[in-house]
Amino acid sequence: MQPSPLTNPLATVTQLETSGSQLDGIPTDLEDSIRFAGARLTQAAGMLLRLPQEVIAQAILVFMRFWVGPDGGSLAEFGAEQVSAASLYLTTKLSAYPKSARSLINVYAYLSSNPTTFANLDHLQQKPPETSYFVSEGTYERRRATLFSTEQRILKTLGFQIQVNLPYTLCITYLQALDVFTHPRASELAKRAISHLNTALLSPQMLYLTHQPTSLATAAIYLAAREVNIKMPEVEWWEVFDTDREELGFLCVGMLSVEGFAQQEREKWEGTRVPLDVKDLEAEMKRRSEITQD
Amino acid sequence: MASRWANDEVDKAEELRRKREKEEKKRLKLQKQQEAEEAARPAKRRRLSTGDENDQVPQTQEQESERKLLRFDGGSWGPCRHTSNFETLNHIEEGSYGWVSRAREVSTSEVVALKKVKMDYNQDGFPITALREISILQKARHINIVDLKEILSGDDPQECVLVMEFLEHDLKTLQEDMSEPFMASEVKTLLRQLVGAVGFLHDNYIMHRDLKTSNILLNNRGQLKLADFGMARYIPPSNAPLTQLVVTLWYRAPELLLGTTTYGTEVDMWSIGCIFAELLAKEPVLQGKNEVDELSLIFSLCGLPSEKSWPGFYRLPNAKSLKMPRDHRNAPGFNRAKFPFLTAAGVDLLFSLLSLNPEHRPTSKEVLGHSYFKEQPKPKPSEMFPTFPSKAGQERRRKKSPHAPKRGEAPGLKNVDFSSIFATREAEEKGAGFQLKMA
Repeated sequence: MQPSPLTNPLATVTQLETSGSQLDGIPTDLEDSIRFAGARLTQAAGMLLRLPQEVIAQAILVFMRFWVGPDGGSLAEFGAEQVSAASLYLTTKLSAYPKSARSLINVYAYLSSNPTTFANLDHLQQKPPETSYFVSEGTYERRRATLFSTEQRILKTLGFQIQVNLPYTLCITYLQALDVFTHPRASELAKRAISHLNTALLSPQMLYLTHQPTSLATAAIYLAAREVNIKMPEVEWWEVFDTDREELGFLCVGMLSVEGFAQQEREKWEGTRVPLDVKDLEAEMKRRSEITQD
Repeated sequence: MASRWANDEVDKAEELRRKREKEEKKRLKLQKQQEAEEAARPAKRRRLSTGDENDQVPQTQEQESERKLLRFDGGSWGPCRHTSNFETLNHIEEGSYGWVSRAREVSTSEVVALKKVKMDYNQDGFPITALREISILQKARHINIVDLKEILSGDDPQECVLVMEFLEHDLKTLQEDMSEPFMASEVKTLLRQLVGAVGFLHDNYIMHRDLKTSNILLNNRGQLKLADFGMARYIPPSNAPLTQLVVTLWYRAPELLLGTTTYGTEVDMWSIGCIFAELLAKEPVLQGKNEVDELSLIFSLCGLPSEKSWPGFYRLPNAKSLKMPRDHRNAPGFNRAKFPFLTAAGVDLLFSLLSLNPEHRPTSKEVLGHSYFKEQPKPKPSEMFPTFPSKAGQERRRKKSPHAPKRGEAPGLKNVDFSSIFATREAEEKGAGFQLKMA
């Protein structure tokens, strides 16, 4: 049987219960923070590389899949930044927009020259000195070797399951099926729905790893229609798109909660950096244990 | 047979009938709706006046439980298993892409084929060709395409082994060991399965780009399966330039030999034509020694291209270095004498597959609908296929055929010393009808 273009492999219950990082004693909240920051980093790098959102989304999902389950990668062994870079590299390689290792390493060097993870706008407008993100030939060689070995580990950890079916086009198709494009504010609705799909990529609940694209697209439309105030059919229209009420409700709550989570993260890491490599993580763990000892 | 006009009239009548039916349905539906609304109105009023919502709730719940939603199983993912889960039985083949061996899974005793990918780690990390092959095989599940079961990792972190179903034969070795060529009915069965698989790929925007008999496997139940997707790729969205360094020389389409960078699924159809001819002749028909030789063999089999039969021909990068005779009237067309036992329909199909102009080649759907498959002898049911002793188990291959081109070894026709090749060509093949000139 040919695999359906509407489905993705999903994380199993066992995979969701324990992660490789947990087994190495990394607290769940820290893991959530790092995964969130890593996904955002992937998005930012993808945009700097001028990649289409489909490719970026796929890279984020490969990044997310890597950490899941007891057999998944552990933050004690892999830095989130290196996995983010390798996921993006791997994804672009199979896409119509391959990027060289050099461009990738340059972009990640530039992004990690930011002094804080949650930079404010003023900060971004001050151009950092070139020397802060210059990658010398020697550094480049080393980082490239890391990039390739991490790429290999991602492939092995995922059993080469790096295919991702995304809900974006599905979402537009559903909107067409619902016949909303005759409405004057339809494009506003579509934009809003796509934004929800992008937001869900970063969800600490890993909605994309637990739900099929059909349901994600339906929930995004449901939320967007309520926000833009466009009336949907007064029947259980979501069932036409293979989503039941319970799943719809769960996904809506999940998608809406990302904003609050992001706020909390910003406050939590104000003025500092989320540890995105193994060394920084060890320092953070040490800092935490000192606080509890005091 | 009815004329076009008659057909149209029938269509019109049919359309009218359908329209009427639709309107009738619409009317009935509207009526029903109105009736339902009328019936619902008092209920609504009742709900407003008293609090007997309890009546309504179980009713809707009942409705909901009736509706069955589709549930898709997309599977899950897990880490690669180790190669030690399999024990190697014997080697089958070594190619440019890697090593293939027959192996048995220790726990289930299932016999499989293992393909160890050559990992020449270069500037780009994990080889893109292997990555493409894996991702395409994961998506292309078809009865006539070899099944990729899983991917193994070994002690060496760079080791990567594909586990695939084992088939007893490949068409190339099998033909070499057969005393007689396949029967006409068998050729049809093989060709139909091959075209079915290629059509499936094309429908899914995949080009194989290395179709040849050694990449076509056959089991002892007459079932053909396409293998080796090391050259395959998705058709890019627009007219993005592609490498012309694809397809093994003997199966390479003329437009590729002439250096085009915008080609499509037609290159696969050319290869199918070559394979069709090979099945009939029991040996490859266009065994060129190099690009120029291959082109001259093609032209002597299929005739010469002209501005009329292939308008864009002279604008292809390498066409400038070919000197064609001005007089086309005496140039021979398709050389059908090479296939004495083929019926007229068969020749027509072969000729169209081996059209020099890629636009004239049929699509796989057109091939499958061709009268060649309908006339006697009918395609032999695959269950009736003869069985052959499997070479894949016991021996290594004897004869060597050229491998698929490697990345980055684009010679281009410019570097070829045309004068010397031309001299020998002219001496041995006076009637070839075209000349090569120094670029």
